[in-house]
Amino acid sequence: MNKLLLGRYINGNSLIHRMDPRSKLALSFYFIGIIFLANNWQTYLLLIAFTFLGVLLSKIKLSFFIRGIIPLVWLILFTVLLQVFFTNGGHVFWHWGPFTLSKYGLVNGVYVFFRFVLIIVMSTLLTLTTSPLEISDAMESLLKPLKYLKVPVYEISLMLSIALRFVPTLMDETAKIMNAQRSRGVNFGEGSLVEQVKAVIPILIPLFVSSFNRAEDLATAMEARGYKGGEGRTKFRVHVWKLRDTMTIIAFAVLTIALIILKN
Amino acid sequence: MVMSIQAKKLNYTYQIGTPLEHVALKDVSINIKDGSYTAIVGHTGSGKSTLLQHLNGLLKPTSGEISINGYTIDNTTKNKELGKLRKEVGFVFQFPEAQLFEETVLKDIAFAPKNFGKSEDEAEKIAREKAKLVALPEEVLEKSPFELSGGQMRRVAIAGILAMEPKVLVLDEPTAGLDPEGRHQMMEMFNRLHKDENLTIILVTHQMNDVAEYADHVIVLESGKVIADSTPKELFSDPEWLKNHHLNLPQTTDFAYKLFDKLALSKHSIPLQSEELTDEILKILGGNLNE
Repeated sequence: MNKLLLGRYINGNSLIHRMDPRSKLALSFYFIGIIFLANNWQTYLLLIAFTFLGVLLSKIKLSFFIRGIIPLVWLILFTVLLQVFFTNGGHVFWHWGPFTLSKYGLVNGVYVFFRFVLIIVMSTLLTLTTSPLEISDAMESLLKPLKYLKVPVYEISLMLSIALRFVPTLMDETAKIMNAQRSRGVNFGEGSLVEQVKAVIPILIPLFVSSFNRAEDLATAMEARGYKGGEGRTKFRVHVWKLRDTMTIIAFAVLTIALIILKN
Repeated sequence: MVMSIQAKKLNYTYQIGTPLEHVALKDVSINIKDGSYTAIVGHTGSGKSTLLQHLNGLLKPTSGEISINGYTIDNTTKNKELGKLRKEVGFVFQFPEAQLFEETVLKDIAFAPKNFGKSEDEAEKIAREKAKLVALPEEVLEKSPFELSGGQMRRVAIAGILAMEPKVLVLDEPTAGLDPEGRHQMMEMFNRLHKDENLTIILVTHQMNDVAEYADHVIVLESGKVIADSTPKELFSDPEWLKNHHLNLPQTTDFAYKLFDKLALSKHSIPLQSEELTDEILKILGGNLNE
């Protein structure tokens, strides 16, 4: 479970940590957009340098970012190979049935590889420096305009933050129930496929039961403290737009302009 | 075969080799005799739960070894071999009612024996027996376990453990969350199992009253180390030491100490149970009457 980097926030006090979560979230999405502007080595180099600067500024060890890439390595490899073997153009080095190894394909493969890595590193940068609560707060505030379209923005973000809050609790609970059933003679990860699927039932049912109970308790606790929906509710954490947020937006604007100039 | 539990220089470290490394047990050497009633006492984070999980092979020691009823476990033991051990040591977790999942109470109690290779009929027979043993009324056996009250659910869960017919019963705060009456009944039930079924009992508790009332052996853990390994009588005869380690006295003993102090009597005998306390008071009264 420790491999899962989503929501693994690392406490810190770097420039990136202190940025407004709204600007961090919006810019992370924006970055994924402008990555598609890059189409030659100059533009990719620029993006890599820019991302690396972000990683440096976060003061988080590089190994954490590499660990974020590892779970997706097969997906990256598969996409890269697809690009390499099925793209035609330029000098052809090798040819067999539907597979061709061309210069254009190789170059494209490298680009796709970097595109993936950059997107992962940038989103890991967001989740490592922003606590899940801040992210859901930011999401709520960025989605606010949708209220006029009758989208229940507040409820969506409440659901999101409750879900994120209970991930560790559920993991603990699962470990506890697994231990209890192991003590009653269940062997997890052994036997035929049917047996293994059957072994999941004694975990899932108690988990469902306790989740429902917990949801009910939570609802009661919220109502007992006067909760009645999002209307007119004030915030404990108030986001303040700072100079560093403006500066980062300017940096992204400059990056975009540079990309447009440098691209073919 | 000598039936006992022996830990030799047991060490356990969580998440070894990561920045979150945490030593939970340090050189723990204990000996729990067959047929004894052992209480394990210590504050939250003292390593009690970690030690308990070694008793039925849920955790393997980082170094050192533990032998339980003839099975020796060290860090080279294969997971497959741990299955047999789990049948010997019944583990009642904290809030054990969280493990219930079957459609009926009877099926849930029969779950463990079926896992350990008993036939459907045999398992059901055992389940009925054990339900009686924990004083579950006949009519709840066909109900869903989720319809029962909290105290009854806990009895079902405990019957489910007893159904494995273990020789050792490990109890992790079995009375947490019960009302005083339920608490008393539960503890009396374990005492009955200890006496009548000759079960070795290992009880983790914060209730010093229970330690004084039932246990014949007590182990105190602090920051992963054994700091006391003696009898309740010995442990509670040193209130100064207990105070230094932020542990309480049982009510009876506390009362006796206060009484002795008031009457300026020497503390020649420390009563643990209410009967002993009554005897002691009668003795004092008798002494005074004779004068």
